[in-house]
Amino acid sequence: MNLVDRYLKAVAKALPEAQREDIVRELSEDIRSEMEDKAGELGRPLTESEQQALLKRRGNPLVLAGRYRQDYRTLAFGRQLIGPVLFPFYVRVLSFNLGLTFAVIAIIFIALGVSGQKVGVNDVLSSCLLQLFIQLGAVTLIFSLIERHLTKNPDRWDLSGTCGGLRLDLKIGKNSSLPIERGQWISRFESVSIIIASTVALIWVTGVQRYPFLILGPAASFLKLAPIWYQVYFPIVLLTVAEIVRATINLVRPDWTRFRAVYNIVSHSGGLVVVYYLIRSGSWVAAVGPATEITEQYAHSIAIVNQWTYFALLVAAILSVVMLVVKVTRLVRSLRRGAGSPSVTAPAKEGD
Amino acid sequence: MCIVHYMVHGTSNHELFENLRLELRRGSLVLACLAALRQERYGYTLRKTLEEQGMAIDEGTLYPLLRRLESQGLLLSEWREEEKRNKRFYRLSADGKLILKQLLGEWQSISSSLNGML
Repeated sequence: MNLVDRYLKAVAKALPEAQREDIVRELSEDIRSEMEDKAGELGRPLTESEQQALLKRRGNPLVLAGRYRQDYRTLAFGRQLIGPVLFPFYVRVLSFNLGLTFAVIAIIFIALGVSGQKVGVNDVLSSCLLQLFIQLGAVTLIFSLIERHLTKNPDRWDLSGTCGGLRLDLKIGKNSSLPIERGQWISRFESVSIIIASTVALIWVTGVQRYPFLILGPAASFLKLAPIWYQVYFPIVLLTVAEIVRATINLVRPDWTRFRAVYNIVSHSGGLVVVYYLIRSGSWVAAVGPATEITEQYAHSIAIVNQWTYFALLVAAILSVVMLVVKVTRLVRSLRRGAGSPSVTAPAKEGD
Repeated sequence: MCIVHYMVHGTSNHELFENLRLELRRGSLVLACLAALRQERYGYTLRKTLEEQGMAIDEGTLYPLLRRLESQGLLLSEWREEEKRNKRFYRLSADGKLILKQLLGEWQSISSSLNGML
């Protein structure tokens, strides 16, 4: 695919579907006419860099496509956060994320209802509102940062990207002068996957606190979670939210590999503290109802569940310690390697 | 302090001028396009004609404008082959001719009023 085709493909992706083909045909004709004119003036075919300069002069494909839209909706709180060019993408991403999140919430609550658990309207509403708040905040933050970048740096784009042929150079600020190998960047696919997975995990953790059935299954009729789980609930939620925030930051700044490396050490340390408190408690499930009514069979089942939980926590603790040592070692190595240079890059596999 | 004041105000004045200039040009460009399309042309030759007449317009502004004028019924367009390539030719519609005549009258009236004031 040549440069013109890549440019047109990038424009086409952002055009209204009904007019897409027609607009691209006309733009294509205009670009080729201009190139022929230039080639005629020079008496030779245009080189690739001359073609690139000509396309660059036409402007960012996203902005160009935005001019064909009749939809001028924007998002503003005092000042404009997301302009008409990005607004349709913003709505699309937000709808997708919220749709997925609400589908997960619906499945969880339907499962609870079917299993005979009592589900209140307040529970559903509070879960939906919490997720709405998180998704709205994260997606708005990302898009307002991209909008700011597009406004300040209208020329920082090229056609080397894989996303519709367009790559926005999102290296902002001081680091822009320090080239980082793109192979070392954190993949945006990975960041998006983590945001979605952590959001689902957050919904599940929130649900488990109220409906132990989600983790205990049918055993919830005679088992309940021990008080220690309610004590570590907020630290677990905090770690999950922090992971969403971290992935959101890395989505905008995939070159912040060292930030992720430091964050991973902090989050693994936090996770280790949670696991330590859990192990120390010694009991993780208890019987429903007064102790006098527990039959020998139930008592035996509770002992088995506690025993297996203990082994599982022990394995989790060992794995966390190993991971922490590996991550600290990698960070120290990367700091030593980078001591002689101002690069902010961490090793390629850092934090994986 | 004075330099900072000058720089801040210098920049905002420049931005203000740019915004006002764009506003002034926006209406004139519609008139220029309609006038140039009394004769049938396709996009690229229209752009070249306007440029030669001192009304340069970038393609990102021209093509959306042509589409808008067509959807308002002022222009007609058709795809036709010329020099072995398919091109979209535009020309004024009957409504477009009428509106152009009225706009030119308005333009001349504004121009003579302004000339009297300046």
